[in-house]
Amino acid sequence: MRLAQLLRCRLIFVTGKGGTGKTSFAAALARLSANRGRRVVIAEVDSHRPALTSVLGRAPAYAPVSVGTNLDASNVTWKEALEEWLYHIIPAKRVVRLVLANRIVQLFLEATPGARETVILSRLVTLLDHYDQVIVDMPASGHALSLLSVPHIAVRLMRTGPVRERSEEVLEVFKDPRTALIVMGLPEEMVVNETIELWQDLRKQVPEVQIPLVALNRCAAPTLTVDEQTLIARLAQADHAEGDEVAELLRAGSWEADLERATAAATERLKAEIGTQVVSFPRLGALGGFDGGPERLVQQMAAALARYELAEQNS
Amino acid sequence: MKLGKLIDDSRLLICVGSGGVGKTTTSAAIALRAAREGRRVLVLTIDPAKRLANSLGLQRFGNDVKRIDLKTLGGEADGELWAMMLDNRRTFDDLIFRLTPDEDARQRILGNRVYRTIADNVAGSQDYMATEKLFDVVNSGKYDLVVLDTPPVKNALDFLEAPGRLARFTDERIMKWFLTPYEEGRVFGKILVGTSAVVFRLLAYIFGKEFLQELNQFFILFRDLYDGFRERHEAVMELFHSKDTAFLVVCAPNEPSIEVATYFVDELRARRMPNPGVIVNQRHETLGKGLDPNEVLGDRADELAEDLQPHTAAQLMARLGAAHRRLRELSEREAAFVRELRRHMSAVQVQWTVPRLQGEVHDLEALDHVGDHLFGRVRG
Repeated sequence: MRLAQLLRCRLIFVTGKGGTGKTSFAAALARLSANRGRRVVIAEVDSHRPALTSVLGRAPAYAPVSVGTNLDASNVTWKEALEEWLYHIIPAKRVVRLVLANRIVQLFLEATPGARETVILSRLVTLLDHYDQVIVDMPASGHALSLLSVPHIAVRLMRTGPVRERSEEVLEVFKDPRTALIVMGLPEEMVVNETIELWQDLRKQVPEVQIPLVALNRCAAPTLTVDEQTLIARLAQADHAEGDEVAELLRAGSWEADLERATAAATERLKAEIGTQVVSFPRLGALGGFDGGPERLVQQMAAALARYELAEQNS
Repeated sequence: MKLGKLIDDSRLLICVGSGGVGKTTTSAAIALRAAREGRRVLVLTIDPAKRLANSLGLQRFGNDVKRIDLKTLGGEADGELWAMMLDNRRTFDDLIFRLTPDEDARQRILGNRVYRTIADNVAGSQDYMATEKLFDVVNSGKYDLVVLDTPPVKNALDFLEAPGRLARFTDERIMKWFLTPYEEGRVFGKILVGTSAVVFRLLAYIFGKEFLQELNQFFILFRDLYDGFRERHEAVMELFHSKDTAFLVVCAPNEPSIEVATYFVDELRARRMPNPGVIVNQRHETLGKGLDPNEVLGDRADELAEDLQPHTAAQLMARLGAAHRRLRELSEREAAFVRELRRHMSAVQVQWTVPRLQGEVHDLEALDHVGDHLFGRVRG
């Protein structure tokens, strides 16, 4: 799938190992789409302390709040999602209020396996009715997998009733070619291992959802020439014992060389082992740090996405 | 407090923090060091994404413990290092095995579909099983120290609350309320009156009657295990608060990670959990002054570049200068984050720092090197 096509998807899940930049990437996708005139909502799943706050400059709430032109943000908290869902399936308001006030039922719904996940997914699908595009900043690997596999479990366990029906609808949305999941990774060996593992688990447990690309964050395109790298290595060897200043200077250089090598290795492995498209994003700021703040980082990432799309068109 | 004293004094170390900060590596490095100092140590990872295997150079390990060979490191390693990765279903089945009175009861539970679902798939059950297994291994008498690598939970201390979540599901009140109509041979909606009747019919409508019946079966089977569960939960909570237990907050010196670490420090204090401090990983350290490559390296670059392309040395000098300026900027920003975190810590809490290391940490030697930064060089 080309990036241009991906950007036209209606529902995009972003997941990956913790610390890979899922939130920033999801926000960048959302900003780019919104700038192009689509009505977009970016959603986070049941978070006490929404990560979106720092990248968007405003805390998301259950009822979407505006965070820019065409862009809203929502924190899909499960209690509100449950309430909304109950009002939807039970026409009598009085009954819903009764149910919600019952402490035992509260406990029951809170603890019933999959209830949380079902109402959250239901809410995400409902958001599709109000927006052109829904982008979900998912939890990290294992928890995202658990969340996405719940509709299958519900369909298996329940033969009738609204939970089953809604789960079937959610599975239909998963199958839609305009639904996609993006896995984020970093050019580090262990992160690549986990990315491959997550990709395999997702294919097995949620085969409906397509995963058109793996986004590799904080990469370095090769810029050091082979000769320059050779020289760094020679200096490091020759001057190993010759003082802190030399060591520090060379360390600064080696980090750049290491990152360039790691980027190439990670891209190659991902392509070889899961055969999917790999899109790499440059590290931004000093050595991939966060200079300029999270909001600025999102802008830079959105710009990188646009450049990537342009390059794709021209190729 | 020195980290060395902490591992001497503790029976359980729990490493918490956001994802991608080297929590698994840190846990493994601490465990390795304790083992090299002569203790019998288990490092337990419950992260569903199985990372510890990588950092210990193992391919895969199941719920069984695996002994890590320390001979390759040389020295007098009279301690033991064991590693275990949690297998959710196995742990749950083991628990049932222990709590059930006979084979019949066991088979009925293991065959129940609601049970199977909880044991296999449901989010949060990994967290629960982790605490369950933790209790087991800490009390097995096989280890002097257990180091736990927790999953990177988004909602901070979900992990600590996990035992409560399952206990709630098997809550006495839910069970009693749920089971009464069945036990007295009543039928849905016929005899029940008032709120209960409405609610019951509603649940049957929402989840489907078959599911509720199966759930009912599950509750009946579980009722007898309830006390066992509750006792376990209480014991695990007690273990968390024990004076032999310590929580270490692990973070990296960037804004999101420091924010999460700050939150952990505050929360652990609010819960009165023993929290000796924070490990800041991946810190970029510098001498704190500008370095001109031409001055520092002199003619050496030119000499070493003789057989390379012309201008290689000059270009590299310029690049090194720029790379170093970026490194200093980054280091200063990190220092500000670390100071901010320090402000949230009490006077008795300690910050340990591990510099950003060159290359990746995925073998014992590299782990040992991380240990050097945390503890100083290995004794003897």
